[in-house]
Amino acid sequence: MRRFLDKIMLLDLFAGLGITFRHIWKRKVTIQYPEERIEPAHRFRGMFRLDEDRCIKCTLCARDCPIDIIYIDWHQEVNPETEKKEKLLDRFDIDVQRCMFCGLCEEACPTNPKSIWLTTKTYELASYDRWQNLYVDMEELEGWKIRPQYTDDEVA
Amino acid sequence: MTGLLTTLHDFLGETFFYYVLSPALKIAVLLILVLTLIAYTTFAERKILGFLQVRTGPNRVGPWGLLQPLADVAKLLVKQDIIPDRAVVWAFVLAPCLVVGPALVIFAVIPFGPSADLTGTFSWFITDVNVGLLFVVAMATIGVYGIILGGWASNNKFSLLGGLRSAAQMISYEVPQGFALVVPLLMAGTLSLTGIVDAQLEQGRWFVFGFFPFGFLAFFIYFVAGVAESNRNPFDLPEAESELVAGFHTEYSGMRFALFFLGEYANMIVISAVAVTLFLGGWHRPFANVEALSFLDLGFLPLGLGSFFWFTLKLLCFLFVYIWFRGTFPRYRFDQLMDLGWKWMIPASLIAVVGTALFKIVLA
Repeated sequence: MRRFLDKIMLLDLFAGLGITFRHIWKRKVTIQYPEERIEPAHRFRGMFRLDEDRCIKCTLCARDCPIDIIYIDWHQEVNPETEKKEKLLDRFDIDVQRCMFCGLCEEACPTNPKSIWLTTKTYELASYDRWQNLYVDMEELEGWKIRPQYTDDEVA
Repeated sequence: MTGLLTTLHDFLGETFFYYVLSPALKIAVLLILVLTLIAYTTFAERKILGFLQVRTGPNRVGPWGLLQPLADVAKLLVKQDIIPDRAVVWAFVLAPCLVVGPALVIFAVIPFGPSADLTGTFSWFITDVNVGLLFVVAMATIGVYGIILGGWASNNKFSLLGGLRSAAQMISYEVPQGFALVVPLLMAGTLSLTGIVDAQLEQGRWFVFGFFPFGFLAFFIYFVAGVAESNRNPFDLPEAESELVAGFHTEYSGMRFALFFLGEYANMIVISAVAVTLFLGGWHRPFANVEALSFLDLGFLPLGLGSFFWFTLKLLCFLFVYIWFRGTFPRYRFDQLMDLGWKWMIPASLIAVVGTALFKIVLA
């Protein structure tokens, strides 16, 4: 009987209409992106950061990278002050275009604290030129301390 | 305003004034109004759908996104107009016109207000045909040719399937819609749209509430069939994007696509306007026969704008329901659609017609 009434009066259809109608008045979840931004979660994997002083040039990160996009060159040199042999980085490049932000390089890093890590909370990596902006070298990796700040002109 | 009209009337002569100038002016104003309404219906659709989905909808172009329709039109006008190599050009070009033209022509007989104001020179419709309802039904049916033709001329399997679906769908929903229209016809005893509105005032009730439940049943069937007729969700099978890319307008781009779009929205407005006229008392305020509520007439407005206000208000409610349906119901499967049309709506509409006729006989 109940099912028959449902079918005749189309009760379930009206229930659906009621639900959507109630949603019209709800607070909108939209975030107006360039003006408002979400603060990423604490362990959000964003852009890389490298600390050259902590790095021991073991190249484990380059080896663990599943798509081999970390390029490291180093040489040995005698430090004139301490007269000890030291490894020096010539090149530490990451081809971010193909990076999937898996974080295996960070896990492979043997130093404590890690000398390469991804928790910079930067997700704004879009660019007009793939080679200029998405192939980052050592200096850029070290300089990338915080998310880029935007001027009002860029936002508009 | 009235003075100007009288001057023109004296200057141009009776015939020219009543049969050329006045209709031409009304057509121009009506076209502008209807096209603006269509543009802002698309805006309202995006906005309301956004609200239903707990987001804000377009809000970048102009304050609160209010200039979005203008941006859309500008974009569609400057886009490349592609005609596929193997398309049948004349049919391809003709199809969108066949969809838009009849839909706009119907506005000629829809009464937006009473036939005359105090001076007796002004009416709120372009013409009052004594078979107005028949004219509406006939014109609304022509639109389907445009869709079939467009689907066939595109030389694309998805378009063709979309066109065929729309043919099957429109034929099956034409029948219950026609039966549903017979009900207010029986109640009013006239085919003229103004006549039907006047009959509702005389009998003191909107025809939705007439001969309960048959008036309401007819109204409901008319509106659901109307949703199917104008290819709107949940009956938008001719353009079901998950199966047919975009159905009959897959190959259309730029302004030709915009014309199809325009036709769809014009159809929505026409069906809502006819529903308002036939079932919801047309331009009259609610409880039009209750003297105590006569302040609702808005009599202080010039030229009977009050009646136009009530008509528009009812129309907008219908458009909202259209958009609300789209935001709520998922698309029907094709066999379910046919099932609903032939097995439920046609018998139900027949019951409504017979019931109304019996009521008439018993009361007479």
